[in-house]
Amino acid sequence: LEMKFMGEKIVSSLKKAFIAAAICLLPISGQAAEVTWRVPTSVPEGSPFYVNFLQRFAKNVDVMTEGRVAIEPYGAGVIVPALQVYDAVVDGTVEAGHSSPTYLLNKDPINGIFAGFPGGMGPEAFISWIYEGGGEKRLKELREGEGFHSMIVGIGSTEILAHSNVPIRSKDDLKGLKYRTSGPWAEVMRDYFEAVPTVVPAGETYTLLQRKGVDAVEWAPPSANLSEGFHQVAKYIVVPGVHQPSFLWEVVTTKETWDKLPDDLKAKLEAAAKLTTYEGLTNFYAADIKAMAEYRSGANEIITLSPEFVTELADAGRKWAQKKADEQKASGKPTMSEILADYLAFRDAWNKERSYLITE
Amino acid sequence: MQSIFRAVDRLSLLAAYLAQAILVLLVLAMMYEVLARYLFNAPTIWAFDVSYMLTGVMFILGTSWTTKEDGHVRIDFLVQRLPARLSALLNGLIYFLLLTPLLAALSWSAWRKALRAIATGEVESVSVWAPPMWPFFLALAIGLTLLALQVAVEGLRSLHNAKSD
Amino acid sequence: MKALIPALMFPALFLLIFAGIPVSFSLMLVSVAAGWFIFGDVLFQQLFGAVHSVASNFILASIPLFVLMGSILERSGVASRLFQAMQIWLGRLPGGLALATIAMGAIFAAASGIVGAVEIVIGLMAIPTMRAFKYNNALISGTICAGGSLGTIIPPTVIAVVYAALAQLSIGELFAAVILPGAIMVLLFGAYVVLRCVIWPEDGPPISSELDKPLGEKLWITFTALFPAMILITAVLGSMLSGIASPTEAAAVGVTGALLLALCYREMSWKVLRECLSSTINISAMILLIVVGGTMFTGIFAAGKGSQLILSLVESIGGGNFEIIAFFLFIVFILGFILDWISIILICVPIFTPVIRAAGIDPIWFAAMVLVTIQTSYLTPPMAPSIFYLRSIAPKDITYKEMYWGVIPFIALQFVTLFIVALVPATATWLPKLLVGF
Ligand code: NA
Ligand code: NA
Repeated sequence: LEMKFMGEKIVSSLKKAFIAAAICLLPISGQAAEVTWRVPTSVPEGSPFYVNFLQRFAKNVDVMTEGRVAIEPYGAGVIVPALQVYDAVVDGTVEAGHSSPTYLLNKDPINGIFAGFPGGMGPEAFISWIYEGGGEKRLKELREGEGFHSMIVGIGSTEILAHSNVPIRSKDDLKGLKYRTSGPWAEVMRDYFEAVPTVVPAGETYTLLQRKGVDAVEWAPPSANLSEGFHQVAKYIVVPGVHQPSFLWEVVTTKETWDKLPDDLKAKLEAAAKLTTYEGLTNFYAADIKAMAEYRSGANEIITLSPEFVTELADAGRKWAQKKADEQKASGKPTMSEILADYLAFRDAWNKERSYLITE
Repeated sequence: MQSIFRAVDRLSLLAAYLAQAILVLLVLAMMYEVLARYLFNAPTIWAFDVSYMLTGVMFILGTSWTTKEDGHVRIDFLVQRLPARLSALLNGLIYFLLLTPLLAALSWSAWRKALRAIATGEVESVSVWAPPMWPFFLALAIGLTLLALQVAVEGLRSLHNAKSD
Repeated sequence: MKALIPALMFPALFLLIFAGIPVSFSLMLVSVAAGWFIFGDVLFQQLFGAVHSVASNFILASIPLFVLMGSILERSGVASRLFQAMQIWLGRLPGGLALATIAMGAIFAAASGIVGAVEIVIGLMAIPTMRAFKYNNALISGTICAGGSLGTIIPPTVIAVVYAALAQLSIGELFAAVILPGAIMVLLFGAYVVLRCVIWPEDGPPISSELDKPLGEKLWITFTALFPAMILITAVLGSMLSGIASPTEAAAVGVTGALLLALCYREMSWKVLRECLSSTINISAMILLIVVGGTMFTGIFAAGKGSQLILSLVESIGGGNFEIIAFFLFIVFILGFILDWISIILICVPIFTPVIRAAGIDPIWFAAMVLVTIQTSYLTPPMAPSIFYLRSIAPKDITYKEMYWGVIPFIALQFVTLFIVALVPATATWLPKLLVGF
């Protein structure tokens, strides 16, 4: 009887629901925004990068354009493969895409400067270089050359250097360390520190760390790592994240799509992007602090590397960047070394004078 | 007509043999990786990319012969109650008129992707190894094209059966 | 009208599938018909993305290798020796082979998270043996499908990983949450098999007297059959459990081991090997093409605002937590008729999570129920991935009807499990609280 009652209830609810859905969906399709962009990203829905960057952007755009532009965010792999976001924009499959220059690194190492690289600037200095030191302009020029219009949507805080099954305190501890990492840091670890960078498919990272198939993993900032649960299977948490002091995401459209927009909307979209980037960063800071406190209060041991070791690691990272820039220059593409010089000059100036700044 | 059909069958069989060879390669590559990592503590930089590329290419190349063998799972207990001619007609029409153009268009996109990967020298986006992507995309394009051809052939065969039964 | 496209995709799909069109092709046809209204002339580029996604998915790479391993073990006779040896020891138990199959499914599921792989490996090995011992076809089918479906629920499972990522839950806690429900299910399955074979002994006949051999002979048979096969299975499972190898690599280890074993038994020839390779390619092409179709379907459903459709259904239902949970699970169950688990998770979890959190429902408990429900719909006819997999490896004379009748009791047991988890949330929430980690 109970089951039958439940069944009837579900059926009658469903009937009501379908009618309601038909009624409430029809007007939605009627009163569309002036401009609608489908925007896929490279991370799953629910990820802090999705919520904090893309979803926040959609909300800010809605407010600033008073509903004239609708951003429809899609998580990774739903309508476009996770790492095909830039290509999907070129193909015209979607109007815009949200991704990180990290994924263009193999295509052109110049993207490493914007993606954030080992030994690069931390978030405070980086965002200052981006908006006040010409970084944003450089990125826009780079993308324009590729047929895109780029808006920075998201700058992130510093990542955790490693969740590790073994303590990491010095260069010796890195020797032979099976370390899940990728990109420039994988090269730096292999070439300068004799570590063994290991490729692990995304869904297997937790299981392999738990089963000690890898000794250590690096992933994302503290707050984003919390739900991955690495701290529940590996005792040591190693900071600071000199491998990824900061990182950047962008929303790209084709130049044609962008040029079609009325000028007032262009300005509003740019403003929404910048607001999102600032809000996103401070949101990360606050969430990271809470996450670090949670790690510290648990069974984990947090290892803060000595300043000397951090400098050694950072120097190797910058050596990597300089090497790439020099290679580019030698092959007749001087842009990367120009931008890197710009970037490093800003970093030096910042370092020389940052003693006036209270960061606590 | 029959000779064209048989030529398509043979191409599909050839692709299936290729897929089998790739399967053997996949086993060897993975074994090498396990040994390299655990005996010499030196994982390769290529195993990850090689394994997904080989798998992807292998299964796409296998789809056309599987179609020829009617190996794609169908729920046919309802259709079996229809007269054989009618169900053959239904199957033939859907295969030839709907599925063939669909797969042809999909192959077209695959070829575009492959040609662009060749033109731009596209490389794997996240791997340290950074291999060129065009052989992978080219293989996908070839596999999908063969699938489209085989589906067309099977559709026409179905229609032929519907007429002659 | 455009807003109803996602809702119309389902009846259209059922129509094509029951018209006897292969499942993978049906998914593609519906995706194209619906997608045309959404993407227009860039539709096929969007759909090629689905091919690309599946063709470049590292996790899926383990499926062909596990299929190959199972296929070598089957055709070289290694599997039947193994099960014969098991029969010696389990023979007096009613339905002993079916019990062994379920145990094998559970063990395999504990090592890897690849759903279809578990079913195909145990299926390839167990079906010929159970048939040789005159087991009932329906019981065989149900046992293989249900034993194979355990890969969904017993951790580690890729489904839980993807779920956790989308819902921002701890992977470890979610793994811990499904351990007890998984164990309950295994016990229920085992109890059912024994009960059925006690009541109807002809369904899973006990050992024939000729196998009642002297102990020395029994030990010899066990040593030559069970022991080497156990080493192989231990190597595969062990390399995964110890983190030495990813599932794909472990599967390659398994293939190599199976090949060596078959060579030792002198049962491997070029012909057998060629047959194994050929059937592996066919099975893999069949399975992965369905995943391609499912990925296309999901993309179009999402781009057609299918999520909003579901959300407005939820809102219009209103009601308390019971209605919300029942309705969400109902949707998961329905979607599971057609879509593979990854599609269900991608569509549902982002819609459900905020509602569940806002209603103050324990997200871990809810997730455990969703995972049990996904597993149930994986088994539920007429559209059941488990049955598609089974069809691809089963002899032709096992009919759909037998398969359907075979899985129904197991589906009922999964519903029992679901009710237990629903009524006693501690089954899901107790272990995660105990979880200490390293
Ligand atoms: Na599992
Ligand atoms: Na089902």
